[in-house]
Amino acid sequence: MIEPFAVPFMARALAELTLLALICGPVSVFVFARRLSFVSDALTHTVFPGVVIGFVAGGVEGVFVGALIAGVVTAVALTLLTRGGALSDDASTAVILTAMFSLGVVLVSRRPSYTSDLTTFLFGRILTVTPRQLVETAVLAVVILGLLMIGARALLFRTFDPAGAAAAGYRIAWLDLGLNLVIALVVVAAVRAVGTILVVALLIVPAAAARMITSRLLVMAFAGTGLIMLAGYAGLWASWTASVVYDISLTSASAVVLFLALFYLLLLPLGALRLRRNRPHPAGPERGSSHELVG
Amino acid sequence: MSGAALRYAGVSVGYHGTPVLTDVELTVRTGQRLALVGPNGAGKSTLIKSVLGLVPVLGGAATVLGTTPVHARVHTGYVPQTDALDAGFPVTAAQVVMMGRYRRIGWWRPTRSADRAAVREALDRVGLADRARKNFGTLSGGQRQRVLLARAIAAEPQLLLLDEPFNGVDIVSQDAILAVLRELSAAGTALVLSTHDLAVARELADLVCLLNGRQWAAGPPDETLTADTLRRAYGAHAVEVDGGRTVLVEP
Repeated sequence: MIEPFAVPFMARALAELTLLALICGPVSVFVFARRLSFVSDALTHTVFPGVVIGFVAGGVEGVFVGALIAGVVTAVALTLLTRGGALSDDASTAVILTAMFSLGVVLVSRRPSYTSDLTTFLFGRILTVTPRQLVETAVLAVVILGLLMIGARALLFRTFDPAGAAAAGYRIAWLDLGLNLVIALVVVAAVRAVGTILVVALLIVPAAAARMITSRLLVMAFAGTGLIMLAGYAGLWASWTASVVYDISLTSASAVVLFLALFYLLLLPLGALRLRRNRPHPAGPERGSSHELVG
Repeated sequence: MSGAALRYAGVSVGYHGTPVLTDVELTVRTGQRLALVGPNGAGKSTLIKSVLGLVPVLGGAATVLGTTPVHARVHTGYVPQTDALDAGFPVTAAQVVMMGRYRRIGWWRPTRSADRAAVREALDRVGLADRARKNFGTLSGGQRQRVLLARAIAAEPQLLLLDEPFNGVDIVSQDAILAVLRELSAAGTALVLSTHDLAVARELADLVCLLNGRQWAAGPPDETLTADTLRRAYGAHAVEVDGGRTVLVEP
């Protein structure tokens, strides 16, 4: 049997997933802490038509630009809508998102290679990552990690205590826009490799799984990155072995996500144990907040 | 040390152009302790947020530390209500206190030993030096409140605002907080705190401002916390006078 990662396209796939792990670990911590899973969810719906339009207009190279424009527009729109309180209307948000998604499907269905194109956009093509794509992902990774390092303290403060952060002089709206843009950039970086659907897993599962073993944010970020790397390696190896040794077709990106989900399930009992151990112990009789005091 | 930390003249504050609180006439000098007293929804938190520049001043003149509320933020500290925070958020007590230093640290610079020393000292002052590495969510309500007070101390403010600092707080923590607040004001920090606890207001404050939609009275506790003014501010049915003691009864 050939060592899987000696094959160039497998090595590139692993390198791409490693780059994505480096950014998704830390970013997923903020997605988790801010409970922003809906932002990543929304992005997957809106980036899809962007990817399709980019592909129709400019071929494979257009995908990146299409995803970038759609991602940035979504990030700005979500920030404005959340600020105006318009996002509390779940129904209208769902209508807009499904409409965007359907628009993508309509556009892609007009193409002769409909089925294969659709699969590519939804689930990515991790095994056909090009050296140029690797460089683009690396550049995005540097930008994303740079932005996070600059904004980490402010984002931490804002996440924990929005009123306190505003009182300290932080512009909450700008911080929210910044984080939404970072999430959009992650989706853009990951979309060609793992597709618009599976990128959600990379943004949500790592921190959720890491939370089971630690309550330190920095450790969570590193553990999240480690988990994606591990899942990337195991998923690629499993899909290679399945197809080469057993002649079973197993989509690589899906295998990666399945391993990630498996790690989450395996860590779940540890999380339950931690939760039981870390219950707060009141120091004394707590006083109520009722109104009956004496003067 | 007699500069005005806070001066409100005929101020009304509120959201989206609709006043929540009107007719506020206040002067708090350096080192003074002002208690904002009133029932739930009286506008106490709104008044505090207006001092922080988070709620707009709709009318009148508001001066904080000689400038506008927004510009004064560098020198104001804020202790929010603990139950407004997510107790499940994975952050240590020391990390929370360090947030008080963020404004000084800026965006780029790593934390210095001076910042870490300030954090240790602030935790020590509220009696929680041994809890620095504990997760915020695992602390009791009173300890969480003390951590937030330590965060405000670490920022070294000239004017400190506290929103219901004794809500859900055990007696040990209440005493610790009262002691620290007295020390701070003795050192020249002006304090503004909201409370519905008249006993605490009487015990701690030099000045009491009685609010309910508007300012009903302001001045020394003995003059403002009288049965008569309380009855007017709270509504007649809410006050019973019992041998010189004023008891508030929820309607």
